[in-house]
Amino acid sequence: MNIYIYIFRRLLYVIPVLLGVCLIIYVLFNLVSPDPTMIMLGKHATAEQMAELRHELGLDRSWLLQYFDVVKSAFTFDFGRSYSTKQLISEMIMQGAIPSLTLTIPGFVLATMIAISISLLVSFYRGKFLDKSIVFLCVTMVSISSLAYILFGQWFFAYKLGVFEISGYEYGFPYFIPYVLLPILIWVLLSVGPDVRFYRTIILDEIYQDYVRTARAKGLGETTILFKHVLKNAMIPIITYLVIQIPFLILGALLLESFFGIPGLGGITLTAINSSDFPVIKAMAILSAVAYIIFSVITDVLYTLVDPRVRLS
Amino acid sequence: MKQKLIFSTLLSFFILFVGCTAQKDGTEKVLNLSITAKVKGMDPIYANDKYSGNEVARVYEGLLEYHYLKRPYTLVPNLAAAMPTVSEDGLTYTFKIKKGVFFQDDLAFPGGKGRELKAADFVYSIKRLADPKLQGLGWWLLEGKVVGLNEWRKKYSDQPKVDYNEDIPGLKALDDYTLQFKLIKSFPQFLYSLAMPFTFAVAREVVDKYGAEFINHPVGTGPFMLPEFKQTNKIVYKKSPTFRKKLYPSDASPEFQSFLKDAGKPLPFVDKVVVNLIVESQPRWLNFQKGKIDVIGVPKDNFDAAITPDRKLSTELTKKGIHLLITPSLDVTYTAYNHDLKLFHNVKLRRAMSLAYDIKKSNELFYNNTALPAQSVVPPGIAGNIKGYANPYRNKNIALAKKLLVEAGFPNGAGLPEITYDCPSSTVSRQIGEFFKKNMAEIGINIKVVTNPWPELQKKITQRKVMLYGIAWGADYPDAENFLQLLYGPNKAPGANGSGFNDAGFNQDFAKAALMQDSPARTTLYEKLNKFVAEQVPWIFGVHRQSFTLHHEWLRNYIPTDFEHGQAQYLSVDLVTRNLKIKEL
Repeated sequence: MNIYIYIFRRLLYVIPVLLGVCLIIYVLFNLVSPDPTMIMLGKHATAEQMAELRHELGLDRSWLLQYFDVVKSAFTFDFGRSYSTKQLISEMIMQGAIPSLTLTIPGFVLATMIAISISLLVSFYRGKFLDKSIVFLCVTMVSISSLAYILFGQWFFAYKLGVFEISGYEYGFPYFIPYVLLPILIWVLLSVGPDVRFYRTIILDEIYQDYVRTARAKGLGETTILFKHVLKNAMIPIITYLVIQIPFLILGALLLESFFGIPGLGGITLTAINSSDFPVIKAMAILSAVAYIIFSVITDVLYTLVDPRVRLS
Repeated sequence: MKQKLIFSTLLSFFILFVGCTAQKDGTEKVLNLSITAKVKGMDPIYANDKYSGNEVARVYEGLLEYHYLKRPYTLVPNLAAAMPTVSEDGLTYTFKIKKGVFFQDDLAFPGGKGRELKAADFVYSIKRLADPKLQGLGWWLLEGKVVGLNEWRKKYSDQPKVDYNEDIPGLKALDDYTLQFKLIKSFPQFLYSLAMPFTFAVAREVVDKYGAEFINHPVGTGPFMLPEFKQTNKIVYKKSPTFRKKLYPSDASPEFQSFLKDAGKPLPFVDKVVVNLIVESQPRWLNFQKGKIDVIGVPKDNFDAAITPDRKLSTELTKKGIHLLITPSLDVTYTAYNHDLKLFHNVKLRRAMSLAYDIKKSNELFYNNTALPAQSVVPPGIAGNIKGYANPYRNKNIALAKKLLVEAGFPNGAGLPEITYDCPSSTVSRQIGEFFKKNMAEIGINIKVVTNPWPELQKKITQRKVMLYGIAWGADYPDAENFLQLLYGPNKAPGANGSGFNDAGFNQDFAKAALMQDSPARTTLYEKLNKFVAEQVPWIFGVHRQSFTLHHEWLRNYIPTDFEHGQAQYLSVDLVTRNLKIKEL
């Protein structure tokens, strides 16, 4: 099948998926969750003013009309304004996405590169002291709470040694760099442990395949086998693992953003949930769904590029 | 070649890094503050939380304000030229507006030059608060109080557009500098409304120019300006060059006499105010210790490290030139009974539960023993609080609690259902719930702690789906009425009386007190009401919290206050001390 037809067909799946997502969002936040007017009006809410506000927000219209509004915003990406801050949601997302991405993309890329390199190394020395030591270290790293890395890193490197900024963020290149260095470092430390264990397992699975024995029999060096053959064949699970993480990079790293004062999307989502800010929650849920579908398609297409045996049909 | 490229890339990054982190020289007076929650925006009518109110009040101003150096809190003119003249029946308030007050420069004005403030600006600003299309969050302040305002709001609630030119009989600009309010009934707390950010003056041209984006374009008459508000982690205000000549107060309460060194000097003292949003306590604490924040409330987790058991500052912090200030807050924490349930009509049961609760231990566990156990609803510092009064149904007394439980018809808790205790889902709230459960178990009452996200808890209270719930109330203004109304029957949920306490005698006295001007007679009535609720135990009273605030020695004129609006203009930074001290931190 032509790749473009495949992509088009897969993207058409977005429609029913989005309709379903809209229905779930609508049910969760219109029928089940607390009345947002109560949160907005605060401690002085009266029944009369709540009714007025519900009317102004259109929450007293039929459920079908309200559901249609959710669907409309999902397809037009016009999410309106936040109930809580009265800000344009599109601008809130744009403003939050940049800080999130300046933290998550470098962290993600670095962690992936380091983890794959270490995995190849320990696979090369499988069963030896180095392999066992690194696996032990990874298990130890995974066992420590992420909060411990953050609290210690911030206190020791930023406060005691003064090597990094304690918290904060400045928009624009290169001003943000000093503020994201320590969070990126912590991101890498947090990711490398589980990633190495995952990639090592995948690579070891490949290493015991027949084609590796054949390559060795033909006299190929271990490095060539690892990089040219094993890594290429391990790419399908690696791609699946990596690409599916990308939508979550856009959504930010909640804990790191919160502790390092980075005004990213993680904080926006959390604040919206805490204040029943339905339009923001709706926007974030729809964007996540769309991003997830798009990156699933990208994953499928990438499969065909790294493994000719995979057919899009 | 490749190596050279890598080397030069690394070098560029290093230079950039060093360049970005280079310390700015301390020649500008900058006030560095921190907040722990996001600011909603810069429109006064939506400033219903402490953080948004404080930010709005750096740019906008109202007719009145609290005297910075006087306690009890005293209202003084701000944009008003003097305190209003009040008619004999207490219904008509006439204000003279200060002349020569200008809005900050903005493109919304002809030639970009801010124009003079007029009485009509207040009429417009208050109409905005009442505008049904805007749904201002401070409408409760004026609802049913100003002649014609409710009717105006109602008239336009079903129409597509609101007519701001329509006259309202109770809200008039008699001339450019005279403003008149006519009230429907006596409302002595009315003047407090005019010191709250909801009623601060905005210019119609600015609202018209920016429309829905007005919330991000604050243009007021205040001491600081902010060209554009962005919802991010830092807000930077600059001193407004067109700010009128306003002077630091020359009189003060006895306890604040030492703060008069700057008396008569023009405000504001600082060139910039930087407000940093730092949600988590560790980075806030570390930034403060590094001198990047000038003032901070002591975070709970750092309390023991900062404060000694005898409530003094630790030696380490004292050596750093840090100062500690302890001030009571105008608030009350409580566990409310749902009075819709017949079970809690039994006053002996309510008293028994109150006596089973160990408030001293609770204070120790959850407030580092810093709070004042509440004897009733009105906190110390305002008229209505009875100095030295001890509630007979406070302080743990298991024997008496058990005796009252028998008299209530539930010996050792027999016959009582499992009682739910709803609280917010934060760790501390849950811990308080568990402690409450443990206390009640001592007299045989079985409690089930239910944690809820904040919106869910509010929903349950409004829908009367709670039995007991733990909550707190902070003052909107320094008047006992603001606390006693929490138990006024007609204010039942979704109003402020979440517990639904409804006593005919209390309601009658409260309604009477609410119409009285400040006087010894009103204080006596407030005290009577306060004592009545203490003995009726409509809630299990918790504590009145105290704020423990630290500030660096270079920060001058800092006094903790419950009403921080406009405080930044009085604060000063001693640059010599700051530049010297910060190197040691």
